[in-house]
Amino acid sequence: MNKKMKMKTKMKCHFSKSAFALPFLFFSFFSGVSQAADLSQSLQALPVQDGGRLKPFDSFARESLQLIYGKQEFKAENSNGAARPATEIVMTWMLQPAAWQETPLFEIKYALLKKALKLPEEKKYLSFSELSSNERLPTVMQELQSKRETKEKLDPYFQSLQRLENQIFTFREIASGHMLRLVPPPKLQDKPSETWISLADLKPELQEKFLDVTKAFIQVLGVSTAETSIEKSKEAEMALGNAVARFKQAAKAENSELYPSETQMNAELHYNHFHPFKWAWIVYLLAAISCFLAWILGRHIFYTLAWELTAVGFLIHIYGFALRVYLTGRPPVSNMYETVVWVAFGVVLFSMIIEYLYRWRFVLLAGALVGAFCLALADMAPLILDPSLQPLEPVLRNNFWLLIHVLTITISYAAFFLAFALGDIGLIYFLKGESENKEKIKAITLATYRSIQIGVALLTPGIILGGVWADYSWGRFWGWDPKETWALIVLLGYLAVLHGRLVGLLRDFGMIVASVISFTTVIMAWYGVNFILGAGLHSYGFGAGGVEYVAVFVAIHLLFVIFTSVIRFGRLKNPKV
Amino acid sequence: MNTSFRKIVRALASMKLAVVVLLSIAAITAAGTIVEAHFNDAQAASALVYRTPMMFLIMGLLSVNLIAVMIDRLPWKKKHLPFLFAHVGILVLLIGSLVTMKYGLDGSMRFGIGESNRFVVVPSADLQVWASYDGDRYTKLAEQAVDFLKNSPKEKPFKMSLDQGELEVLDFEPYMIPNRQIVASSAPKSGSAIRFQLQNGKANINEWLLQTKQNATVENTFGLAHISLGPIPAILPQENALFLNPIDETRIQYVLAYKDPKRKALRGVVQENQFFQTGWMGLEFKLLRYFPKAQESYEFKKLEASTPLTTSAIQISFKNQKHWVQLNDVLKIFTDSAAYLVSFGNRRIDLGFDLHLKKFEVGRYQGTARAASYQSLVTTPDNQETLISMNEPLKYQGLTFYQASFQEGPNQEAIASILSVNYDPGRWIKYLGCLIIVSGIMLLFYNRRKSSRAQAPGQGQI
Repeated sequence: MNKKMKMKTKMKCHFSKSAFALPFLFFSFFSGVSQAADLSQSLQALPVQDGGRLKPFDSFARESLQLIYGKQEFKAENSNGAARPATEIVMTWMLQPAAWQETPLFEIKYALLKKALKLPEEKKYLSFSELSSNERLPTVMQELQSKRETKEKLDPYFQSLQRLENQIFTFREIASGHMLRLVPPPKLQDKPSETWISLADLKPELQEKFLDVTKAFIQVLGVSTAETSIEKSKEAEMALGNAVARFKQAAKAENSELYPSETQMNAELHYNHFHPFKWAWIVYLLAAISCFLAWILGRHIFYTLAWELTAVGFLIHIYGFALRVYLTGRPPVSNMYETVVWVAFGVVLFSMIIEYLYRWRFVLLAGALVGAFCLALADMAPLILDPSLQPLEPVLRNNFWLLIHVLTITISYAAFFLAFALGDIGLIYFLKGESENKEKIKAITLATYRSIQIGVALLTPGIILGGVWADYSWGRFWGWDPKETWALIVLLGYLAVLHGRLVGLLRDFGMIVASVISFTTVIMAWYGVNFILGAGLHSYGFGAGGVEYVAVFVAIHLLFVIFTSVIRFGRLKNPKV
Repeated sequence: MNTSFRKIVRALASMKLAVVVLLSIAAITAAGTIVEAHFNDAQAASALVYRTPMMFLIMGLLSVNLIAVMIDRLPWKKKHLPFLFAHVGILVLLIGSLVTMKYGLDGSMRFGIGESNRFVVVPSADLQVWASYDGDRYTKLAEQAVDFLKNSPKEKPFKMSLDQGELEVLDFEPYMIPNRQIVASSAPKSGSAIRFQLQNGKANINEWLLQTKQNATVENTFGLAHISLGPIPAILPQENALFLNPIDETRIQYVLAYKDPKRKALRGVVQENQFFQTGWMGLEFKLLRYFPKAQESYEFKKLEASTPLTTSAIQISFKNQKHWVQLNDVLKIFTDSAAYLVSFGNRRIDLGFDLHLKKFEVGRYQGTARAASYQSLVTTPDNQETLISMNEPLKYQGLTFYQASFQEGPNQEAIASILSVNYDPGRWIKYLGCLIIVSGIMLLFYNRRKSSRAQAPGQGQI
């Protein structure tokens, strides 16, 4: 055993000065970033009705650009200029749609669709004029229509075609001013309506006020591209702020009851700009690196740092969560994106608890790694994991049981995820040499066992609560719905592991291997049911995409397990080699 | 306890068996989810996987294993408590499920706004045959519960003996898209059918009218025009109406009535491909097709998986004639001396009381057609009004009524509410089982916490 590692670890000392200095440093850094972010704050906070809720113009613009272009910022092809924010892009779609005709803007990803449209495979973006002149497009759209008429399930090809249809529709409707709903409907006794009035249908006097906004906006744009003095650009911005304020006032006057508060819009704007989960994963990653150094080098300072970084990341994570809860007014566990964020939270939490109890270093390492991995995934794959704030399906609304049931089940997945990461570390030790690392392997096995126990202890009530909810909402406790069935399969798998361990069927190696392999069932229950099976009552969580990446992820781990097993059995047979 | 009994118990209680059983259940149910995804149909998974002898066998094995392991640990001590709780809990849960399966009711009920309903439709299907010898009164000849998904008639035709021969079910297709057609019929008692066009500059209507039997009246209102096929009434109504009555194999007599009392009714005869002016807003009537004897016929397109438009259908053979019948439809077969009705449909269970849908409301997310919530205001026989909404069911006479879904009309307005109706005598047993399991887990953790610290390598030791 490494003697340096044996160094006394006085954990109490980790409340050093740096512990307080560090988070402060981070937060001041963040706030600086969010302030300098954009020129046209006031315009970005303008309330818009879209997708069943009220959101700031910034969210509307980001979501539209995300749909059409696949990113929340636009960067012209072959240009070295900085990426332009969504608000600016979407505004110019409205102001000068013709200018965008030739710009490659429409993202097409699916190879088969490109083939069907006779497009070269390396082409990523199409312009509007390319799309409208494409000879194959009408025929292909007709196929989609007939598929819809028979109400068959859409495969990835048709799903991507549907996205294309949506992209074209959204672009057209934004350009024509029909999609941007800016003003609440007047209050009428006989015909109460909640549908806001779009830009194209506004009263002349309101339209005029919006015209002022666009004029001021163009001024700001012109000033920011030309190299003018700071004063001038400030002046233009002030003018824009005033124009927006006048428009808002007039819009609010139409029906003040339906107009949202400024705090709400600004909070969402802050959420958009701040990217809490992005910062959280970066900090987690730093924590993991620090933890890794502490583990390898045995330097206590890194361990302290790792704890601090994890704590900071955790705080940012919670802050992001709290913001999301405030904005949606519900627990954030209704789609894949939100559960990934929630599971990352669980993994970090559990790893901190187990680490705090045993102080083995690698538990925190595993937790921070998985936390960073999950959040990075959520941050980088917006097409698969949709980060936008969406209203809930009826069955999920105002429900206490939903909250408890989903939170419990997904947090149990977090425990299994931790066991999986620990299992990976365990496998590495088996590769490094079983006899030299006996103590460590024992500790890892125990940590894995604990994580699985936590998982099972949460998953069992979670499944039962799911049954209670189903019984309460639909009148049946258990109906072999794929999502619930797969949760049960996960439970059965891990129960088999725990029972196997209990009677010695699974020793240390078996336990480590089982923790890695069993996680496949969690991936299936969590991701696979929604994205691969795509059937059943839990259809409100469904999405598409990413199957190939997940398959590779699973395959790599299975291969790793096989590789380690082969090496290990080789060594056991010929102990001298 | 004698030793051979102990030995058997020990074998049945073996942990290896337990692990094998757990993994088998996992594997079988995993297959079930794949079946369901493949057919996009929960019923298929239920019939092919979850309610098969294999599944019952493995569940039985699990129960035996659970019981045996508890007997094997006799005499029990305090430390066995969590283990006993967890295992007894699972057994109780399984018993509860069995009770639900055997005695429970799980169906659905649809009613339009303002309508009443007393029948619950359940997934199981029945095949019924009714016969009439005078063309008026029908008597039930046979009735049998059928599950063709499980026992496919393709391999072994399903047979039913009737007075005039044997009725056979030759084929079953679970996912068919029906396409209604009207075809000429050779049966002596069939009614007539016409296909017509009503056209002016703005409107163009193309429709079929089919009499259910000879000299029956079938009528329909198309926009402003009321059109009827059948005997012409002696006294004409004061409204815009067109009455058509077959004369012979090619000719149809017609009478045009008007709302305006000053206008006189018009009479005439029309044949296929002939037309006349109706005098209503310039509408021209054209007879496109005329079958003196016609019947409904469905053409079916077979699909591999379920979609919201598919229905299941069976192929029936009777007196050397083959017919397709879709689920919840009735097939008419005529012989020289009798008329038969063959019905293939979901079983309807009479609740014994009427439930009335007084009002139905859908709340939408602002500015969209997305439903945010929906609720039914129903009246029970005791004149109590209850609002049933998502997650807020009505409990009445031991039954529970849940808001399941609703149907929309062509303009996205809600037209009917669908409730799911449930009676579950096993509910409390299942809940008891769950409670026992969870207590077991809590006990387990309580006990473990006390003993676990000792075995862990120390802090910072590694």
